[in-house]
Amino acid sequence: MNLLVCISKTPETTAKIGFTDGDSKFNEEGVQFIMNPYDEWYALVRAIELKESVGGKVVAINVGPASNDVVIRKALAIGADEAVRINAQPQSAMTTAKYIADYAKEGNFDIVFLGKETIDYNGSEVGSMLAEYLDLPFFSYASKLEMDGSKAIITRDVEGGQETAEYTGSFVLSAAKGLAEQRIPNMRGIMMAKRKPLNVIEPTITEDLSVVVKYELPEAKSGVKMLDADDMDELVRLLHEEAKVI
Amino acid sequence: MANYMSVETLKFLMNNVHDLNEVLKAERYADYDAESVDILVDSIKDWADKEYYPYFTEMDEKPVVYKDGKIIVHPQIGKVMKQAGEQGFLGPTFDYEDGGTQMPHLVQAGLNHILEAANNNIPGYIGLTSGAAQLIVNFASQELKDMFVPKMLTGEWGGTMALTEPQAGSSLSDIVTSAKLNDDGTYAIEGQKIFISGGDHEYCDNFVHLTLARIEGAPAGTKGISLFVVPKHRPTADGGLESNDVITAGDFQKLGQRGYATTHLVYGENNNCKGWLVGAPNKGLKYMFLMMNGARIDVGMTATSTATAAYHASLQYANERPQGRKMTSDGSKDAAAEQTLIINHPDVRRMLLLQKAIVEGSLSLVLEAAKQSDFAHTGEGDFKEDSHDRLEFLTPIAKTYPSEMGRIAINNGLQIFGGYGFCMDFPLQQYYRDIRIMSLYEGTTGIQSLDLLGRKSTMKNGKALQLLGKDVMEAVEAAKTYDELKPYANKLAGKMQEVQEVMMALLPHAMKGDFQRFLSDATIFMEYMGTLVIAWQWLKMATHAKEALVTGNLIYISDFYESKIHTMKFFFKYEVARTSGLKDILLDPEVLTILKEKELIS
Ligand SMILES: Cc1cc2nc3c(=O)[nH]c(=O)nc-3n(C[C@H](O)[C@H](O)[C@H](O)COP(=O)(O)OP(=O)(O)OC[C@H]3O[C@@H](n4cnc5c(N)ncnc54)[C@H](O)[C@@H]3O)c2cc1C
Repeated sequence: MNLLVCISKTPETTAKIGFTDGDSKFNEEGVQFIMNPYDEWYALVRAIELKESVGGKVVAINVGPASNDVVIRKALAIGADEAVRINAQPQSAMTTAKYIADYAKEGNFDIVFLGKETIDYNGSEVGSMLAEYLDLPFFSYASKLEMDGSKAIITRDVEGGQETAEYTGSFVLSAAKGLAEQRIPNMRGIMMAKRKPLNVIEPTITEDLSVVVKYELPEAKSGVKMLDADDMDELVRLLHEEAKVI
Repeated sequence: MANYMSVETLKFLMNNVHDLNEVLKAERYADYDAESVDILVDSIKDWADKEYYPYFTEMDEKPVVYKDGKIIVHPQIGKVMKQAGEQGFLGPTFDYEDGGTQMPHLVQAGLNHILEAANNNIPGYIGLTSGAAQLIVNFASQELKDMFVPKMLTGEWGGTMALTEPQAGSSLSDIVTSAKLNDDGTYAIEGQKIFISGGDHEYCDNFVHLTLARIEGAPAGTKGISLFVVPKHRPTADGGLESNDVITAGDFQKLGQRGYATTHLVYGENNNCKGWLVGAPNKGLKYMFLMMNGARIDVGMTATSTATAAYHASLQYANERPQGRKMTSDGSKDAAAEQTLIINHPDVRRMLLLQKAIVEGSLSLVLEAAKQSDFAHTGEGDFKEDSHDRLEFLTPIAKTYPSEMGRIAINNGLQIFGGYGFCMDFPLQQYYRDIRIMSLYEGTTGIQSLDLLGRKSTMKNGKALQLLGKDVMEAVEAAKTYDELKPYANKLAGKMQEVQEVMMALLPHAMKGDFQRFLSDATIFMEYMGTLVIAWQWLKMATHAKEALVTGNLIYISDFYESKIHTMKFFFKYEVARTSGLKDILLDPEVLTILKEKELIS
């Protein structure tokens, strides 16, 4: 099978979040980045598992600057066969989807994987837009994917239960928890990653249709208050007047 | 996920302070580059988050037990051993042809830091298996290598180092386990070993004990000790296993590291225990030292990492616990004001800074030792020999400073928790108990100190001490480039002059043949040298931090670098200052600890 996995980078979960340029841009100074966990733990690993069982190739794709290469290398270390970086820093999900679609159209991929969302902006937009550009069906929030010959059986979590779909043909799938189990790259994989191809291509020309004008941080939380276990009145008063939750 | 170590600090130390790229220039490490090491560090952190840290408390609450002749350990040990094999984390520093990945020691030490901080009960099982395999790889025949090493590197078989006996702990010259040549060239082993870490459990099919024993008729003392491979089960011709008459007689219940088995082994009770000689007869202790030197650095790292995890727990607590009020400018307190977080009290800040200064200083020192180990391995000519001498000198300090001072760091961390620190619901008590073993096993602090003063400081006419002086002065000169660091650089330069004064006062005792007097305060000397060596590490860290701030070449936020410089200043004010008192003790001619005619300790 010919599999494409979209990977994005996201600030490390303990990074301090701040903004610049009149609060319109995320301040990257001193921030460490990781591969988006939904892409890494579920989408990428399931693609690799499929390749391992039925053969084929896994290509990891990222849209971003050269500083993303370390994240891409990690995808290769985990087991992707080759990688592509589209050298651009788009401002919107639409543009990202367009760039990936322009590449994917040429690649004849059976399945295009993504994580259900990136844990920074949590937009959850690229997948559906990509499917639209590629004119393929989109299965979102998949928690299970099995192949029965050329037929794919996809289970997705829906409110309070599960839904199972079957499809034969190419499709786009966004991965949720459960699709696979996180794989930690091993020493040999990491060393092999250096020898695998990472192709950098320039983006097709597209304009960002929307731009972010402002970010706001939630109000800072105050310190923890310790109360005597018997002092229910004070607890109720604090929840009422300070925390304003009742 | 709780924060138990700082990946940023580890990377800063490896990449900047200890110049990983310089280490990676060696041909041996051609397959490594900074980027792959970066991925490795992040991957091992993921592994630690997932498989180590969540089991830390549980392994203490459900400790190893001995039941019906079996050692029962936490099932996670079995899972992690297998994963370590798949990861290539068993014997990673070995040559490719021996099943390793030629990983630099500096990198391995950095990765160990993460794992040890996450859960110090687990890495020993992996480290000892690697260490035991290394002895076979380095000194045993091809036949023995083929027989034992492959299964050890997959984690199917465990490995141990079996030295200690009831009557022979610090002094191995007194071991009595015996070896008698059999007709088939193997040896019949008889005796017992106690305190053998990771010596048995149900998740490995076999255990390979690298055992010290005395061949019949061998000379007395250390010159008559040989090294044997003694497996729990002997491999049979058809690829199976049969009992080798090594009985696990018990597990020691301990103060800390309760998830890490400490076993009592009995060899040859039924006269059917076979051992295979490693290398030449009577050279056992020499071979074993290869493993022990590495293991000493590992213990230093375990202590460093345990104290690091405690520091992060205290820091988090201090940032969450409100208590008391800030003092107003007239020294009074406004009861109507909101409670302040305890991190705002100078005394709590002092304790946090002390913890940080000790743990990050220790980490830098252990990485320094690991780097010298790489240079000693891959270097050439004088450089190789000098690196080896540096390593020899730093090893006892890298084991002892983190073990002794790490305990003090954790003690302060526990204090920050107030009464909660004393309670089982909070983690500090466990770190406090766990670290206690580290100044005992792998040679007690007393023994390490004798090694430092009695051997390492005097070997080759004091060459290692001179090399240290040279390295420190290099760091002093580099620090002097920045006005802010100058006073600290000058202070350390002055302190290094004083070391000569101390040596001039102590050496004459040795020259007169009064070794007891020469070494009677070796542990004070260890504390003295340890503090200065850490000051050297802090000066280097501060210089690199300052350089990043001045050049604007910031990989992390600027606070990160400023905090390094601030902690260096703290270490100099509060810790380096104490060396004056230690020097006074060392120079004081009065002798109070050597037994004279009459016993006065009663
Ligand atoms: C949990 C645990 C795990 C262990 N794991 C292993 C293992 O895997 N393999 C193994 O072989 N051993 C292991 N050991 C044994 C450990 O290395 C010894 O306990 C240690 O070396 C000290 O020996 P001892 O207990 O006999 O103490 P002793 O040697 O009796 O020492 C008692 C005290 O006397 C001091 N002392 C002794 N001799 C001198 C001297 N010449 N000068 C000054 N002071 C001296 C010591 O510093 C110490 O303070 C382990 C021990 C423990 C507790």
